[in-house]
Amino acid sequence: MEFLSLISPLFVALVLGGTLIGIIFGAIPGMTATMAVAVCLPLTYSLGLENGLALLLGLYVGGISGGLVPAILLGIPGTPSSITTTFDGHPMAQNGEGEKALRIGITASFVGGLVSLFILYLFAPALANFAIKFSYVEKFLIILFALTVMAALSSDMLMGIFSGFLGIFISLIGIYDISDGGNGEMRLVPESLAYWLDGGFSLLPVLIGLFGLAAILEQAEIGVPKGQTRDEVKIGGKSSFSFGIFKGQIVNLLRSSGIGTFVGILPGVGGSAASILAYSNAKTFSKHPEKFGKGEPSGIVASEAGNNGLTGGALVPLLSLGIPGDSTTALLIGAFTLQGIQVGPLFIGNNPDTWNAMIFAMLIANIGMFIMMYVAIRYFAMVVTIPKHILFPVILMMCVIGAYTINYGIMFDVWTLLIFGIFGWLAVKIGIEVAPFIIGFILGPAAEVYFVKSLESFGDVSIFFTKSWIAMLLWVLIVASVAGSIFLARNKKKLSEGA
Amino acid sequence: MGSLTKVTIDFETSHLIFPTLIAIVLGLLGLAIVIRRRHEIAGAGTFWRDTFARMDKLRFFGALGLTLIYFSAMVPVGSIWPNTGLGFLICSIPYVLLTGLLFMHDRPFRDVLPLVIVALVAPTLVWWLFTDLFFLTLP
Repeated sequence: MEFLSLISPLFVALVLGGTLIGIIFGAIPGMTATMAVAVCLPLTYSLGLENGLALLLGLYVGGISGGLVPAILLGIPGTPSSITTTFDGHPMAQNGEGEKALRIGITASFVGGLVSLFILYLFAPALANFAIKFSYVEKFLIILFALTVMAALSSDMLMGIFSGFLGIFISLIGIYDISDGGNGEMRLVPESLAYWLDGGFSLLPVLIGLFGLAAILEQAEIGVPKGQTRDEVKIGGKSSFSFGIFKGQIVNLLRSSGIGTFVGILPGVGGSAASILAYSNAKTFSKHPEKFGKGEPSGIVASEAGNNGLTGGALVPLLSLGIPGDSTTALLIGAFTLQGIQVGPLFIGNNPDTWNAMIFAMLIANIGMFIMMYVAIRYFAMVVTIPKHILFPVILMMCVIGAYTINYGIMFDVWTLLIFGIFGWLAVKIGIEVAPFIIGFILGPAAEVYFVKSLESFGDVSIFFTKSWIAMLLWVLIVASVAGSIFLARNKKKLSEGA
Repeated sequence: MGSLTKVTIDFETSHLIFPTLIAIVLGLLGLAIVIRRRHEIAGAGTFWRDTFARMDKLRFFGALGLTLIYFSAMVPVGSIWPNTGLGFLICSIPYVLLTGLLFMHDRPFRDVLPLVIVALVAPTLVWWLFTDLFFLTLP
């Protein structure tokens, strides 16, 4: 219980403050939990590891939860993970049951968050203990597996794989670091840029560009939608909410939370897949599937339990293997890097107090989110009316601060932000998948070290197939994920041709 | 068979092994994508013309242009008063204001006034926070 010494009033205030800011970000259409974490990351510079993580985890939980507000009231998902909440939440709001729908969503989010937290607490240390035994070969194959899973679950597998490898390629720009066992030689950099790129592109400006600037450029492209007036946001009070609504929903709640957590564990898949999978399962197992999409509370329960279930799940591979489960947890790697901590199989064992403090922060964030949103939902409903012409310029300015201060004042990092902001906007147009790209970018340098060191140690390529039963199992999983994706894509094509 | 899988890593050139391998994989994947999406690639001109036609050009290129000017001006302005972070502050105020005005659809005084206040307060607050509290030097 030594971690309790880390829990100060400031720690709790940061979790709750982060949760509040996260809810506000999530509630504004066009802004996401990822953007909230990206923008607030520079604030953690002077906070220390535990307090910094407290703020960021609060932002994460709040950001995912806040998305249900516009999804229900406006039919616009505040974050991509709330897309299925619109299906039943918005019809309920149109029917004058907005408040009831919101409270159903908030309660389901709370349960989803707690279930995933429980699984995280049980599962991550066990996985980390297992992963400690991995050699360079297995570590390399784990990264390869993460990339293929992500690519397999992308909308286009080939583009998903390409995006992941492109991320790796760009991460290799610069010096092959001696501290990683490299030879200190530069590669992939033109001589004129050698001064700026000897260490490659910094992670955080890349992330802030891809998730902050690119999102605002997308909004600018469509003309920055005017936003809603207070008169347009009607919360409604036609029928009141009671917890009795959840009678008969326990199975749906637990199943959806479990699905969300499982999807979170898969690297780079994201909240929208969690909520879609939970929603489609709820519909399949429902006695009244015809009611889904017309204002069925079970739909909101499934969607919100699913997307909040993701929060704990996505931290499992991050904290046990060093592989981020989604874009937002990829940003958390940045926070660890800032504090000089490397996440991976040794993290939990070497930092038990930080690990417990993180779990505690997630618990406070979930409870805080539930109380804040349940009590003040009418005020959060008004958040959707905050004008974007005020928010976006301030966010852009915060992006600049984040990029500039990451390496204590390098202007090239600000230009990196712009380069990757434009790249992020362009990527969506040409079909490059940002999630596999960013995971590839984060894991690329480690993949290189593991690959080269494996060959240096064993001098034989066959070692990747024969090192251990874990290596063989990983190859089976890699092939299965690719084959499964091809099978699913063919089925989908056949169905669309048959329709 | 065994000798076919044997490799010797030359430490001097070890920095090129992985990038070369990734480049080859990227090349092969790129080729597969080009072959599979050849029709889409052939119609890329139409796609970009449509995208450009639908785009709110003023806001998109305006935002990009203002951002470019903002980034370019920060260091030269900051070098007039070195190590004070004033380059950031002096450039951020007009940037927030002008970008906000650009993103607005109608500009009545009652909507512009809050923006002016935010444009003055937000950069000043951030500048104070980072220079006086966090001791991080801004441009």
